[in-house]
Parts: sequence; structure tokens; C-alpha cells
Amino acid sequence: MTTKRTMTLNLTEAEMTALEELCEKKDLSKTAVLRQALRLYQMVDSRIERGDKLFFEDDAKKAKAEVMVL
Amino acid sequence: MTDVPLHIQRRADGSWIEAQILEGVKPPDLIVVEGEWAAERSQVMQELLKQGVPRPNWPQSLHWDWRKKAPQLKLLASAGFGLVSEKRWQGVMLTLTEPYATQLNQDKGKPLLYIDYLEIAPWNWAIPAIGQVGQFRGIGSILFWKAIRQSQEEGFHGRVGLHALPQAELFYEKICRMTPLGRDPSKQNLLYLELSRIEAERHLKEDNKS
Repeated sequence: MTTKRTMTLNLTEAEMTALEELCEKKDLSKTAVLRQALRLYQMVDSRIERGDKLFFEDDAKKAKAEVMVL
Repeated sequence: MTDVPLHIQRRADGSWIEAQILEGVKPPDLIVVEGEWAAERSQVMQELLKQGVPRPNWPQSLHWDWRKKAPQLKLLASAGFGLVSEKRWQGVMLTLTEPYATQLNQDKGKPLLYIDYLEIAPWNWAIPAIGQVGQFRGIGSILFWKAIRQSQEEGFHGRVGLHALPQAELFYEKICRMTPLGRDPSKQNLLYLELSRIEAERHLKEDNKS
């Protein structure tokens, strides 16, 4: 098994509410949601670093907007 | 790297041989895999040419090269698994936990484990056109079972998704009981299939009985 390390995370009320809502919506634990968020952030960051662009596309409105990731 | 012991069956005499599922496969492992498999791929190709087998009937992963897939393992979302027996890699699988979500109605939008690549060793391919029966059976099924287990461990309730090569569509639909959800123009028009959490539970229950 991969060794796991523990950390304390301080969140604002709004951040904690958002986290809890995502847990409910995705049927995941808080740890799993944060793990997924980190994986996605790293994946997006690595693609942007190699020159790719990230877009949101709305088929109905035929709209496409580039997402700027900091 | 950790390993899970099990047994696989040799087609020739039906005997059961010890094997391990290796978790935490790293990029250098994939270089070793391709080192073992490349010569076999080439031999199969030569035999297909010699027998005049039309190219559409060739194994559709014949051109794969696991060395090229190695960089993907640097991502947190990616994981590699291998099935090893008799000191040889009998099958390999790469999975992703992002950015796919299930399209099936009952769990729509919830995360699933995506099988990015799954291949069995060339000596395990059954290719009747060249008289090759394959050494071990069930390698793909064992790796698929491992994907269901990983999905459970991730908190995804066994949900699994993948794009199937045309020659593997029946296997995933009939044997693995995945639901076909249409062809995907963004993935060479491959058929996209998903395993629901209900079917995943059935798979694991059956496994407990056997």
C-alpha cells in the first residue's frame, strides 16, 4: 500500500460548505474530493505547461471560452 | 510496488499457475514490459504476413508500445497494474481517476475509474488464423476485476469506463457486462462502455463465491 501522510486543513465556512456540497453531489468523502481536485489540477497544469489550452464549450449556445488557469 | 497473489490457468493442460497482480507500476517497468513484448509482437506480425492474414484481422493492439505510455504515470490521476507469472509480464493496465465521469443515468456525473489501456502479452493472444491459441487464459478478466477493486478503493463504487478496440467490444459487453454508450468521435470513433455500480457489485459477489 502507498504510505499516506496526514495534514490539517483550515477552510472558511464557504469553502467547507462547497466541499460538503461536492461530497454530497459526487458521493465521495472529503478526502476523496480533495484528492480528485488535486489530481485534476495537476493534470490541467501539466497540459498547460506543455502549451495546451483549456476550453469550456456550450453546445447549445455554440459558445467556447478559454479557461485561464493560475 | 505491492503485489496480490492469485492463480492463472494455462490453456494447454488446464493447470493453475501462481501469479501476482502488481500495483504501483512505474515508468521503468513499462520499458521492461515492451522489452519483453516487442520481439513477440514482431514474430506475430511476421507470421500474419506469412499466412496472408488481411490487416483488418490483425490484433488491434499489435502496434502498441508501452514505452510511449510511460510518461503518463507521472500524473497523480494515473496508476499502473501488471499481472506477472513465471517471471514474465502477462498483462498490463493503465487507469485514470480523472477527468472522466459516469454517463449512466443512475449515477450520472459521479466519478469513475477509466481504463486507459489494457493489454495482455502477445503470447497470450488467441489468433486462430496463425494457429496461436494463447498460453494463459483470463488475463484480461483479472485485470478488469482489479480495475473494479481500484474503483471501489477510490470511493467510486466499482464504476468503470473505457473505450474499446473493435475486437474487444464483445468481451467488454458480454463477459464484463459493461453498457455500451455509443461511439466517440473524439476517440477514433471507438465504442465507449461503462460498468455500473450494480454490475460491479455483482462481479465482486461472484468473485467471493468462487
